[in-house]
Amino acid sequence: MTKFLISLIAIAGFAFSVTAAAQDGAEAKSAEAFRSLDREVQTLKKEVLDLNRDLFLLEEELLFPANSQVAFFISMDVGEYFELDSVSIRIDGKEVSNYLYTLREADALIRGGVHRVHMANLKTGDHELVAVFTGKGPHDRDYRRGATLKFKKGIGAKYVELEITDRLKKHQPEFVIKEWE
Amino acid sequence: MLLCMPAATNATQHDEDNDAIVVENPQYGEVLFYFYQEDYFPAIVRLLAAQQQQQLRGHAVEAELLLGGMYLSYGHHLEAADIFERMLADNVSSKVRDRTWFFLAKIWFQRGYFNKSLDALNNIKGDLPVALRREALLLRAQILIGAGEYDRAIGLLQNWQGETEWASYARFNIGVALVRSGRVAAARELLDDLGNLNPFNEELASLRDRANLALGYALLQDDQPAAAKALLQRVRLEGPFSNKALLGVGWADSEMQHYQRALVPWMELRGRDLLDSAVQESLLAIPYAMAKLDAISQAADHYLNAIEAFYEEANRLDRTMGYIESGDMFDKFLSDDPLATTGWYWQLEELPEGPEARYLFHMLATHEFQEGLKNFRDLNYLQRNLDSWQANIEVYGNMLETRMEAYDDRLPRAQDALGRSDLNGMVSRKLEFDSTLNNIEESYDWLALASASEFKMWGVISGLQSTPALRADFPEAQEVRDKIRLLKGVLQWRLERDFKERLWRMRRDLGNVGEALVATRRSRRQIDESMRSEPRRFSALNDRVNGLLPRIEGMKIRVENALEKQRDFLQSLAMSELQEQKRRLDIYTIQAQFALAAIYDISATAGEATE
Repeated sequence: MTKFLISLIAIAGFAFSVTAAAQDGAEAKSAEAFRSLDREVQTLKKEVLDLNRDLFLLEEELLFPANSQVAFFISMDVGEYFELDSVSIRIDGKEVSNYLYTLREADALIRGGVHRVHMANLKTGDHELVAVFTGKGPHDRDYRRGATLKFKKGIGAKYVELEITDRLKKHQPEFVIKEWE
Repeated sequence: MLLCMPAATNATQHDEDNDAIVVENPQYGEVLFYFYQEDYFPAIVRLLAAQQQQQLRGHAVEAELLLGGMYLSYGHHLEAADIFERMLADNVSSKVRDRTWFFLAKIWFQRGYFNKSLDALNNIKGDLPVALRREALLLRAQILIGAGEYDRAIGLLQNWQGETEWASYARFNIGVALVRSGRVAAARELLDDLGNLNPFNEELASLRDRANLALGYALLQDDQPAAAKALLQRVRLEGPFSNKALLGVGWADSEMQHYQRALVPWMELRGRDLLDSAVQESLLAIPYAMAKLDAISQAADHYLNAIEAFYEEANRLDRTMGYIESGDMFDKFLSDDPLATTGWYWQLEELPEGPEARYLFHMLATHEFQEGLKNFRDLNYLQRNLDSWQANIEVYGNMLETRMEAYDDRLPRAQDALGRSDLNGMVSRKLEFDSTLNNIEESYDWLALASASEFKMWGVISGLQSTPALRADFPEAQEVRDKIRLLKGVLQWRLERDFKERLWRMRRDLGNVGEALVATRRSRRQIDESMRSEPRRFSALNDRVNGLLPRIEGMKIRVENALEKQRDFLQSLAMSELQEQKRRLDIYTIQAQFALAAIYDISATAGEATE
């Protein structure tokens, strides 16, 4: 009996080996089943991603046709001590967005990400944008800065980037506005 | 350019090149916004959409590499590899390229694609940081061990520099592999060295225990109980491997016929958690030793207790298997933030609550289960994503229909209004005005620019001048004639004085009218174009909506099937783990029953002999 019991526990004792490739028949079968499923999941992921792309484009074209589309983006080019809290946007006197940033989102902006904060349908012609951001700078100092932009909406889609930067005045963040047609 | 290395960036936390980013398209920046939050699914979708719309002209190469990196981070390794194979050679530094191949090799190894993993390792040209270089070497060694090429693995690792944890793990793996292949003598030196190492952290202490345990049992099987006991006694008494070590020490003593001594570790084990196979086995080992010591009655009692304990444990296992078969267990893995994307970096950090975890913790920690679980979570995310799109697309279909109806409703009114407006007539009238104004200027016709009141006054004065009474030759008439001439002169003087200004104003107003007419004509052309194109646009959008809906539905069915298969796969892993435990208990129970029967038989025979 001694040998029999020892052989059982010895198998259990070696089961913690990290060598995944050392498989007996059942393990090899299970590994093959895993790979086969994994390949299926990979294919599905790719197809669902492609479908999402098509749906994303359709949604955008449907909700914001190119001839009236205006997209407003927020980006940052500031020292590491600036902490963005929120951005509010008014278009032609009407508040259209008041966005509060999580730490994760603010960090993504500081690292170079650009946030599409608002999409709108606007008629061709003249419009006015008023943007205000709030945040904290060095020594826990509160910042609240605004900027106004009069812009012309043409026939095609228009992109407006509101960049919060302290490059112009050291440690004094403010908006710099860029427009793309 | 380092943006392309999210896997590397994430795994190593920071990279000094990361801050050199100049975002030239807001769409690319938007992708980065999600990427930096490790929200890979929306980041990939936006990148694919921007690529399709050719919005990433300033970032074409970076975008493709970023896509590869995100696919890798999202666990979409086959697609990632396609991109890297195309792009890495010419577009990135050797440092970035090597890191990328390393992470690809790692993910393939974890998912059991050993040949692909080896190919990826072969693509590394030697520009990895030291820590990753060590890991890559271990990865290669593990693949070789898996393929049974122990000597090559040993050769690979014997030049390892320094006593790092990785080196110790590598040696341990080789030692175990050699034992499993029956080469105990070859394994002995490796494992004995590890069993004697001076651990500077818990991880190495645990590895040391494992090495002693592995070699101890190997020697026990090789009929070397004394040597085995010395090794097993090195294992810490309170560590995770102490149960097996205590059991082994007992068997070593038993092999040397020191049954009294063997009982010491086994009796210690008896009070520990019955879930552990070593504890289960001790319940049989104790009466075995007692029987050898002729304590037959006590041995019988212990066998009876063991049978009872095994029976209860087997019942608990049956209940757990029933629960796992119900499938509810796997929903627990989805309960935390089910909409969050998962990706390669997700790990099951806490065991789910419930009785099943206690039986399954070994299996839950394996690559196969962890990777299967990631796929299960990813599929669940895809399912929810498709559910949400299905609801949206139906709304969009309705919205489009409403818009088309509204358009059809308004079109006749708009056409009627447009038909009534005589834009060409307005243009002709404007041109006539231009011509008239030119004549006025050429002929210096200052009276033509008089206001209505001035013109009326001019008429009144001229009328008075021709009054017959004023032609009389007497002083009063002469006085009135002089006054009228004076008034006419003043009016003429004023009109002539203002002529240029009035002409300028008139031209300015006409110019404005001209611009308005041009804008109106442009708008008209746009309206005409819209009236022609809008039905086509509606129809194209409608076709897309109608085409996408079945795609979503078809995909949902496939995802649902895959989810079911993945659940079955995980379930079968869990069930075979539990069945194995049950099988062991059954064997122990039979052993106990057999031994008990033998004892009863001996007792009965002894009783008969006494009578």
